[in-house]
Amino acid sequence: MKLIKILILSLFVFIQAKADTIYNLIKIPNLEIYEINTSNKLRYLYAKQPFTIGIDNNINCYNSEKKRLDKKYKIIQKNLNKYDQVFLKKINLKYIVLCEELSISGILTAGIPDHKMKTLIIDVKFDSKYFERVLHHEVFHIINDGYKDYFDENEWSKLNDVNFKYTACSTCSNKTGLYVYKEFNGFFTEYSKSTASEDMAEVYSHIISDKDIVELKINNDPILKKKVEFIKKNILKIDKNFKF
Amino acid sequence: MIKKIKASLSEKIIFIFLLSLGIFSLTSFLLIKNKCLFVKNYDPLKITFDNPENIAILNVPCGNVIIELYPNVSPNAVERFKTLIKSKSYDNVAFHRVIKDTLVQAGDLEFGKKGNLNYGKIGTGKSGLGNINSEVDVPFNFEKGSVALARTQKYNTEDSQFFIILRDEPLYETEYTPIGKVIYGLEALKKIKYLDKSQYVLRPDYINTLRMLIN
Repeated sequence: MKLIKILILSLFVFIQAKADTIYNLIKIPNLEIYEINTSNKLRYLYAKQPFTIGIDNNINCYNSEKKRLDKKYKIIQKNLNKYDQVFLKKINLKYIVLCEELSISGILTAGIPDHKMKTLIIDVKFDSKYFERVLHHEVFHIINDGYKDYFDENEWSKLNDVNFKYTACSTCSNKTGLYVYKEFNGFFTEYSKSTASEDMAEVYSHIISDKDIVELKINNDPILKKKVEFIKKNILKIDKNFKF
Repeated sequence: MIKKIKASLSEKIIFIFLLSLGIFSLTSFLLIKNKCLFVKNYDPLKITFDNPENIAILNVPCGNVIIELYPNVSPNAVERFKTLIKSKSYDNVAFHRVIKDTLVQAGDLEFGKKGNLNYGKIGTGKSGLGNINSEVDVPFNFEKGSVALARTQKYNTEDSQFFIILRDEPLYETEYTPIGKVIYGLEALKKIKYLDKSQYVLRPDYINTLRMLIN
């Protein structure tokens, strides 16, 4: 018995203070490098084991199987390669974390942006129908967090019909649909109606990923036309060379 | 009358064995105690450098660490580093953050000076010269021996603290401002005191001196 105690004690004594470079940089544990030699200098990391972060450990994500990672990485890289290094530096985005079943306070989510830590966590298992567009949606949140003055929510809200009101938060209603409305009512999707910032992110993500829909909408929907112009105008303030 | 007893062969063997064991133990103790025993000490005066004006000599407990500075990569950071070297500000400053085989960090001029060490605040001290902007845009290979300025979580908060990496750290590119590379004496840095359970070192080792080869 004594011998077992000594062995257990010695384990604690000899465990080293290990250096976790990635944790030191972005404060997310259990990550490893997936790919860092990219043209726009984005660093792709993946969860080797599940991790828990955030206030009261309310953000969780799990490691993904390699096959899925490899498949989704190609899609993610293709989409994020639309952003050059200069733009990414301006918006403060450098690390892309790949994991699955990403949740915040128990609610599954496609991505969690962290402007301060230059990080975007992506759920590689998210609905593949909307996956590519959602990437740009999350990128917009990074942009928005860095340029709050440009994307003023009051100014944005005034573009809507006077009788319309957003909900108090993005998860405060059941308006979570990401399908595109057939009618021309000033919004791209049901989720657009949740908050001003989600509405902006939805407009932005359509501008980047679905030009045909945007063209159709702005020709028939004066509110959406103004919203698209608002987003484009302010993105160009950040980077006048940005290509939509 | 005392009768002289002759030692038997086996007794002689045991005696020689015990004597050898004693000598071996004593030698081992002395060798192990001297952590610098197998570390080569480089004499910068015996080495020819291509850019002697950018050579800094960091003298630590196990000898000299010779650093080549890169003003073309980070002109402002190297200028700050040289300014502090020339004023001898780094002398007797602690290696307050050390991770075994990973990095050594020093340069807290406010809370890391020998005789005036503040364990509660070490790592947060300033030089009094103000922060400088990060210089992270020039491509730089953060391989073993790279020297860079430390900063807070925010860019443009570099001051006097610097670190030297003991292993390749490719993720540090565009994160930290590189100022140079160790060209001789990296082994001496591996002997800097570290703790098993903490990155911050109690009773740390100190920089003896840090000088430019040419003043």
